[in-house]
Amino acid sequence: MLQRTSLVALLAAVAVAGVYWWLSAPVVAAAANAPAHVPDLANGEVMFNAGGCASCHAVPNQPDRLRLGGGVAIKSPFGTFYAPNISPDPNDGIGKWTDADFVNAVMHGVSPAGQHYFPAFPYTSYQHARREDVLDLFAYLKTLPAVAGKVRDHDVGFPFDIRRNIGIWKFLFMDGKPLVADGSKSPQWNRGAYLVNSFGHCAECHSPRNALGGIITGQRFAGAPNPEGEGWVPNITQKRLGEWSAKDLANFLKTGELPDGDSVGGAMTRVIKNTSQLPDQDLAAMAEYLKSLPPVDGPTPPKRKQAS
Amino acid sequence: MKRMMIVAGSLLLGAGAVMAQQEIAVQQDNLMRSQAKSLYTVIQKMTKGDIPYNQKAVDEAIANLEADVAKIAKTFEVNPKQDVVDATYGSSQKVWQNKADFDSKIPPVQKAIAAVKGKIKDVASLKAAYTSINDRCADCHETYRVKLK
Repeated sequence: MLQRTSLVALLAAVAVAGVYWWLSAPVVAAAANAPAHVPDLANGEVMFNAGGCASCHAVPNQPDRLRLGGGVAIKSPFGTFYAPNISPDPNDGIGKWTDADFVNAVMHGVSPAGQHYFPAFPYTSYQHARREDVLDLFAYLKTLPAVAGKVRDHDVGFPFDIRRNIGIWKFLFMDGKPLVADGSKSPQWNRGAYLVNSFGHCAECHSPRNALGGIITGQRFAGAPNPEGEGWVPNITQKRLGEWSAKDLANFLKTGELPDGDSVGGAMTRVIKNTSQLPDQDLAAMAEYLKSLPPVDGPTPPKRKQAS
Repeated sequence: MKRMMIVAGSLLLGAGAVMAQQEIAVQQDNLMRSQAKSLYTVIQKMTKGDIPYNQKAVDEAIANLEADVAKIAKTFEVNPKQDVVDATYGSSQKVWQNKADFDSKIPPVQKAIAAVKGKIKDVASLKAAYTSINDRCADCHETYRVKLK
C-alpha cells in the first residue's frame, strides 16, 4: 500500500515537473522565412522615443541620452534590476545580435542565449509592436555610439532569481494576443492605441499589480503605488483626467506642463524627455486614445505619508 | 497627580511637535507654491498668450523667483517627516538622505535666473527664459518631488 502511494506521488511529481518544464520554456518566434525588411531609420527613432529606451538604458549621471551603456537601477518589490548595455558595442552591448535575436528580446522577452528576461523589461507591452517597427528600432540603435562595459547582475532574491519561473509568469500574465485595430475608430485613435499599448508601455507603471507582479486587468491605467517606493503613479483614465482636453494631454506629453499651470515631477520627468521628441501628430494620437479611456476606479492612495 | 501632570504635559509636547512638523511641511510647500506662482501663473501664462505680456509683471516675477530660490536650502533644512495634509505633491525622503546633492541642484537654477535677469524684452525672450529656468527646476523635481495621488 505504502509502496503504491509513493509510486503515485512520484508519478504526480514527475507530471508536475514535466508541466513546469513545458510551461516555463522560453518561446520565441520562428526565425526562418521571416520576410526581409528594409529599415527606416527615422521611424526607428520615433519608436526609440515612444518606447522610452533611454530612460532605463542610457548611462546615468551624464547628459547624453543616446549613450545606451545601461546601469540604471530599477527598484521593485522583487529586487533591484540593472538595465543592461544595449549600445552597439559588439562585446558588452547588442552589436553582434541578429534581427531575430532583437525581435525575440523585445517582443518575447527571450535573450539570444535562450533565457527569459525579467519583465522589468516591458516586453509585455512591446509584444504588441509591429515586427517592422521593432526592426526599424534595431537599425536605429545600431547607429548610436558603442559604449563599452558590462552592467552588473540583477539583485533579485530567491525564488524570483530562477529565470525559468518567468516562463510560468509569462503563461499567467502575458496574453500574447496581437493588438487588433478597431475599425469603428479613426486612424488617429488607432495609432494612439498602438503607441500607448505597445512601445509607450504606459500601463506598466499606471496600473496596479497583484502579489506576483501581474497587471490587474480590470484596473488597467487606473493608477498604482510607485514601484520604486515613495509616492503614487496617478490614474490616467477619465476618472482622474476627465477635465483634461486631448490638447492638454498632447501638450503635457510634449512639455511636461500640467493644465493647472504646474510641471511634471518624479519618474514622469524622464518619460517626458522621450515623448517631447515625438512628432506632434503622434502626440495628438496618443492624446485622443487616452481621452477615450473609460473612467475606472483604481486603488486608493494612502491618505498621508508618514516617513519611517 | 504629579504623574498625571507629567503625562498630560508630555502629551501636549508631543502634539506640539506634530503640529510643528506639519508647520514645517506647510512652510516648504508654500515656498514651492510661491515659485510656481512666479514661473507658471505669471511667466508660463504669458508665454502661452493666456495673459498679455507685461514687462513690469515679468520683472517682478523674476525678482520674486530669485528671492524664493535663495531660500530653498534653508527652508528644507529640517525633515518634517510628513506631507502637507491632502497635498498632491510632497518631498521625497531622499532630500534629507542626500541633502548635499539636493542643495547642489539650487545654484544651476540661480545661474539660469541670473542669465536672463533684465534681458527679457518680449514674448520670444520670455519663452527662452522660461524653458531654461524650468528645465533646471525639473532636474531637481525628477528625484526629489513625489506625487502623492
